[in-house]
Amino acid sequence: MKLAFSAADEAFKEELLTFLAQHCPPQARTTRDMIGSDDVDANGVMVIPQWAREWQATLFDHGWMIPSYPPELGGRAATPTQTLLYLEALAQRGICRSLHFGGYAIVAPSLLEFGNAQQKFLAPAAIRGDTVWCIGMSEPGAGSDLAALTTRADDHGEHFIVNGQKVWTSYAMVAAKCFCYVRTDRDAPKHRGISLLIIDMDTPGVEVRPLRHITGQAEFAEVFFNNVKVPRENLVGELHGGWRITMGALAHERGGLWVEGVAGCLRAVDDIIKMIVRLGLQHDASITNRVARLYSQSRSLRAMGWKGFASFAQGSSAAEHSYMKVAMSELQQTLYELGMDLQGAGLALTDPALAQEGGRWQTAFFNALAATIGGGTSEIQRNVIAQQVLGLPRA
Amino acid sequence: MDFTLTEEQRIIQHTARALFTRECPLALVKSAWEYPEVALPLWQDHLREWLALSEQSLADTTLFMQEYGRALVPGVFFSSLLAAYVASTVEATLSGAATVAVAGLNGYWTPNEETTRYFVPSAAQVQEVVVVSGSPQAPRVAIAAAAQVSMAEMEQLDRLRPLYSVDVKGIDRGRDISPQAWQQVVHRALVTVAAELVGVGRYLLDSAVAYAKVRQQFGRPIGSFQGLQWKLVDSALELERAAAAVSYAAMCVDAAVAEAPYAVHSAKLEAGGAARRCARTSLQVHGGIGYTWEHGLHYWLRRAYAGDAFMGPSDFHAQRLADLLFAA
Repeated sequence: MKLAFSAADEAFKEELLTFLAQHCPPQARTTRDMIGSDDVDANGVMVIPQWAREWQATLFDHGWMIPSYPPELGGRAATPTQTLLYLEALAQRGICRSLHFGGYAIVAPSLLEFGNAQQKFLAPAAIRGDTVWCIGMSEPGAGSDLAALTTRADDHGEHFIVNGQKVWTSYAMVAAKCFCYVRTDRDAPKHRGISLLIIDMDTPGVEVRPLRHITGQAEFAEVFFNNVKVPRENLVGELHGGWRITMGALAHERGGLWVEGVAGCLRAVDDIIKMIVRLGLQHDASITNRVARLYSQSRSLRAMGWKGFASFAQGSSAAEHSYMKVAMSELQQTLYELGMDLQGAGLALTDPALAQEGGRWQTAFFNALAATIGGGTSEIQRNVIAQQVLGLPRA
Repeated sequence: MDFTLTEEQRIIQHTARALFTRECPLALVKSAWEYPEVALPLWQDHLREWLALSEQSLADTTLFMQEYGRALVPGVFFSSLLAAYVASTVEATLSGAATVAVAGLNGYWTPNEETTRYFVPSAAQVQEVVVVSGSPQAPRVAIAAAAQVSMAEMEQLDRLRPLYSVDVKGIDRGRDISPQAWQQVVHRALVTVAAELVGVGRYLLDSAVAYAKVRQQFGRPIGSFQGLQWKLVDSALELERAAAAVSYAAMCVDAAVAEAPYAVHSAKLEAGGAARRCARTSLQVHGGIGYTWEHGLHYWLRRAYAGDAFMGPSDFHAQRLADLLFAA
């Protein structure tokens, strides 16, 4: 156990910081309290601006998009430790790599693991951001119980015919392709009748309706499939073998997210301290004591993430990482809520002239409310930890 | 930060666990409540040599202390380790079991000139008392023979680590040490206590999880009930967070970085909170059986609370952390 990293790792970080200084556009440095885009059109619907497309391509071309991958996949064969240093360096500076994590974080790794030669060929463009992907998972009747999905794909030999509806589909309005989970066997047990299809979003019968969420923005959508014809070669992995891939996809999503979440918590604590001083509340021990505890939790979660990483890097599963999502997402909500509470009656205001920092605490709090729901609810996470980490019997 | 254990650290962990499994069964813990001297052979035959940890990295010590807390080892090792930290500031070697007298009635380790010191662990079981006097700006360290000071046992929750009030009138003035050297000792002691608390919490949580798997009610193991599962998960989360905070603080102290004081207060506050939470959860999960004296769970519950209070409870350390955060 030691604080310092090896000389090679420090040199790696130095090279990254030089690259960022030279290439990172100012827009990519906007602090984001959650993954998502501030760039919306007049109707509040998410768009991907040109700078974001260019930035993601630049990262890829310089081997800084996914450092652990080889150069042809936008990386530089970095070690796991270097990858974590990379993620933390970006997160601490509030730099985002991409406005649409689905392609590089979920689709590409899944294609590389489960896809055939033709499909693997789609991975570089997904990572570089040239192809924007959405992930068709949740449905009106299949949220936490994802395996209950009913969007059906009927097997017609050379092609499938897809009918059904997805919801909470991030980036669907800007995506070219959908990584779509469908039911191919309605008689099999629910986990064994699911397949994964690649669906081009411009196929006739695909309809996207942006879904405004409680902040007023729309980065999600509902996607309707009405007799959509999908060629058989778009099947990923085995027929009825899609569930295995969903588990992998969620694992990719969780593996990389704690660093950004923790950095967000630490930034929020720093900003809360500044606000307290600005408001002249720094001598109120009931407030400073609370902030100190939240600081302590945030710093300790960072240590917990790194501690889990030490086991992870040696090939063991890390109990610590199972706890990260639930801990971080709940801590974020607490922090942003405190940021609102400090404003007294002003907590109800979003008027840029009257609210602290233009009302960003209110927006951040609303955004953070999604964090305990998306990507596995806190309740599901607790059930999983109880059974898989503590080894308690199923309910 | 690299949490990977070195081969030597892995050996410390395994050796300590094996030692306490063999030499410190529940029966020893139980009898030490009435007869502290039953822990003497364990000290003489094994633990005395582990005092060498005081000269090793704090990271090493935290690994040992987690096992120590888990087994709730009775006796004079804990007080002797803290005494060794303090004695090293005046290059003194202690001859045997020892303890430290600093705090006044508030329990904080702030150098002072009070004639009576409180919360002195194991004072009646040791040969030497290391007394810290003066002020935070000008601390002094003196070493006295335990036989030459008068003391009285304080009535307390946790008799497995008896605390004494000690009369330090008439003890020689001692030697001046630097405020920085004293600060370093306080940091080491706080992280040591915090590591022990993580071990205490670990025992309380593990025993609750194990019991929840075998205890049947309504025809199924109680551990299958969601209400109980979530209680255990939340306790486990807090404990893992504390464990990480403690290791991180040890690394910060070992590397003498500017963040060390922040990390140390954080570690003590996380560990105290986690141990207390695991104690309450464990008692609740065990139900009526855990509430009996005979079962023995209460010994760990007592240590969780007494350990949190030692050198100041969570709230005190949260406030010290706030002082640091708002002074910057």
